[in-house]
Amino acid sequence: MPVAVEPTSAPRTPRQRPAPHPAARRKPAGRAHGLWPYALIAPAIGGMLYLLVYPLVRAVLISFQDFRLRQLISGNAEFVGLRNYRTLLADPRFWEVVRRTFLFMAVNVVLIMVIATLVALMVERLRRVGRTVVLCSLVLAWAMPVVAATTVFQWLFHSEFGIANWALTSIGLDSFERYPWFANGTAAFAILVTLIVWQSVPFAAITLYSALTTVPLELYESARLDGAGAGRIFRSVTFPMLRPIFLLVFSLEVIWTFKAFVQIWVMTRGGPGDATTILPVYAVQTALSSQRYDLGSAASMITVILMSGVLVLYFRQMFRQEDETR
Amino acid sequence: MKYRLLAGGSVLVMAAALSACSSPSDSASGDGRTTVDVWLMRDSVSDTFQKEFTADFEKRHPKIDVKIQIQEWDGIGQKITAALASNDAPDVIEAGNTQVAQFAESGGLLDLSDRKDELNGADWLSGLAEPGAYEGKQYGIPYYAANRVVIYRTDLFEKAGIDAKEIKTRDQWVDATTRLNQGGTQGIYLPGQMWYALAGFIWDEGGDLATESGGKWSGALDTPEALRGMAFYEQLQALGKGPKDSDEDDPPQAEVMAQGKVAQVISTPGGANVIVEKNPELKGKLAFFPIPGKTADTPGSVFTGGSDLVVPAAAAHPDEAVTFIKELTGDTWQKKLAVAMSYVPNRTSLASAVAGDPGAAAMAVGAAEGHATPNTPGWAAVEAENPIKDYMTAVLTGGDPAKEAAKASQDITRAMNAGS
Repeated sequence: MPVAVEPTSAPRTPRQRPAPHPAARRKPAGRAHGLWPYALIAPAIGGMLYLLVYPLVRAVLISFQDFRLRQLISGNAEFVGLRNYRTLLADPRFWEVVRRTFLFMAVNVVLIMVIATLVALMVERLRRVGRTVVLCSLVLAWAMPVVAATTVFQWLFHSEFGIANWALTSIGLDSFERYPWFANGTAAFAILVTLIVWQSVPFAAITLYSALTTVPLELYESARLDGAGAGRIFRSVTFPMLRPIFLLVFSLEVIWTFKAFVQIWVMTRGGPGDATTILPVYAVQTALSSQRYDLGSAASMITVILMSGVLVLYFRQMFRQEDETR
Repeated sequence: MKYRLLAGGSVLVMAAALSACSSPSDSASGDGRTTVDVWLMRDSVSDTFQKEFTADFEKRHPKIDVKIQIQEWDGIGQKITAALASNDAPDVIEAGNTQVAQFAESGGLLDLSDRKDELNGADWLSGLAEPGAYEGKQYGIPYYAANRVVIYRTDLFEKAGIDAKEIKTRDQWVDATTRLNQGGTQGIYLPGQMWYALAGFIWDEGGDLATESGGKWSGALDTPEALRGMAFYEQLQALGKGPKDSDEDDPPQAEVMAQGKVAQVISTPGGANVIVEKNPELKGKLAFFPIPGKTADTPGSVFTGGSDLVVPAAAAHPDEAVTFIKELTGDTWQKKLAVAMSYVPNRTSLASAVAGDPGAAAMAVGAAEGHATPNTPGWAAVEAENPIKDYMTAVLTGGDPAKEAAKASQDITRAMNAGS
């Protein structure tokens, strides 16, 4: 069957924006007005510099210094060049953590994107009542404070009082009698993935759903008239239309799962063993448990570089595809 | 000492930390009075003791005000680190005896060697004085000690026809516990990660947690002695329903015992007060015996836990701080503290103060076989990360002991040498 809807014919999101007001219409900025805007914005900029840029610069510096408990207390840290980075990169445990971080990120992001897309598509097809119920549930799940949600999950899988064990035992799986979930590396990892997916899907789903509502219905109609099935419509109409939004949500989820620290720290502290130690957890452990602030900072710097790397790769891929379809 | 009977939630810790940050330590007001800022730990003193002591101290030293803040054990290492690094450190800090070395090494503490005589250094308990010293200098002043004993239910023992005085060996202990572990009663509530108890069993066998050779420490959980200690822990742990994946703080074991279905727990004697507080019906039904050893003539080895008082190098009022320490560790208040909190006083000459206390008597028997964790700054990193707990859970849930022990030993080695 000939398919009329070619990828190339897919309409793109409108790129034109309303032209900004011509500058000529504004009053010429007088001397009195000249400094005001800067003065007004100065506290905000100053606060940001102090709270964001200063710690960042400090962390970069520490990563090039010999900085331990002694230096923290007495000051006088020496610069040691790239020694901390060399130590880290030569440590097999560090590479194990890097590998685990990417696995963790990949599993989470794929699950989040797939589930969120499905939820968004479902919400679009629901009637008013169903849609309200689902959206409300999503918002509630999203609004749950991270530590509260993590604590709830911890109790769900508690070996003694957890509802998971209770449910599994009561349907006859006796081996789950007082089964210690967090003592098993794979199980602990899976529970953390579930928790993070559960926490992240609402944002992704709502964003994708609101983007979906902007796709003109006529496009679907004409695609259907041309005989396209649901899968084909998604691939050739919906996805290309929403590509920028997918890109955005994907990038945000990569960032969020890469730095998922609170959940892991509250639930397992990176254990059992190293089973749930990803880069941010590793950095904190190194800095605070072993008092190696220098190595911890270096690990954080490497985390930032790796995360940027993932995003750059992905953006390049996306733009290349866009160029091809042009 | 990190027995953290009632380590509260992290919320409390944060609240305490916040209030600690926001309080300027220096408040030398116009009338020449100075305020000495003190951090004591949860369960270190009772409310009443604190009030009485403060009132008496301020009466005897009219120029000094005392401000005591109670801190939680959970996360205390980091909090002390932050305090030592700040310009606003408290004047006196209570620290676990195993934690002092790390802070002393960092240069954050005041060397109190020349005040030793003034503070009765001659007969300090060695389990507190030794960890308080680093490279021959005294930084930590012994405050109090405690070690673990068995707290048991007299009524349940009677019902099962067991005389606790007869329990002198491990075999007798296991035998009695097996008989108690029937019906709805747990013979012993032993959570899977009570690593201080495991340490005791390992010391009984002649093993250790870590050993030093040529200046380098390495984990020793995989020695045959240590493996035998773990095997006994596993045997004992099975005689009750202690969770295999948590320690005595989660849930707090005193609360579990307060529910009335547990015949024994391993705890410091002070734990009995908490149990009775949670369930007044158990008043008069709790008693103590020392942890049994392998043979009748030696009691079980125990970890000598306890606290030292330290003065940060950055303290604003070091002289007043020493005055405070001198009072708190002096005869009068040490005796009162020991009785009120069931602790061992900081000096051997004061031991008679608690002679009449059954908990302290049981503790004193065990103290003869008291051990300490490896006295090196690196040990604090092991406790912070605690691979021993993971190891215990792994073995209790069916892991191969030899394999898991080798892995845990490697982790200990790595953690101990990470800082150097």
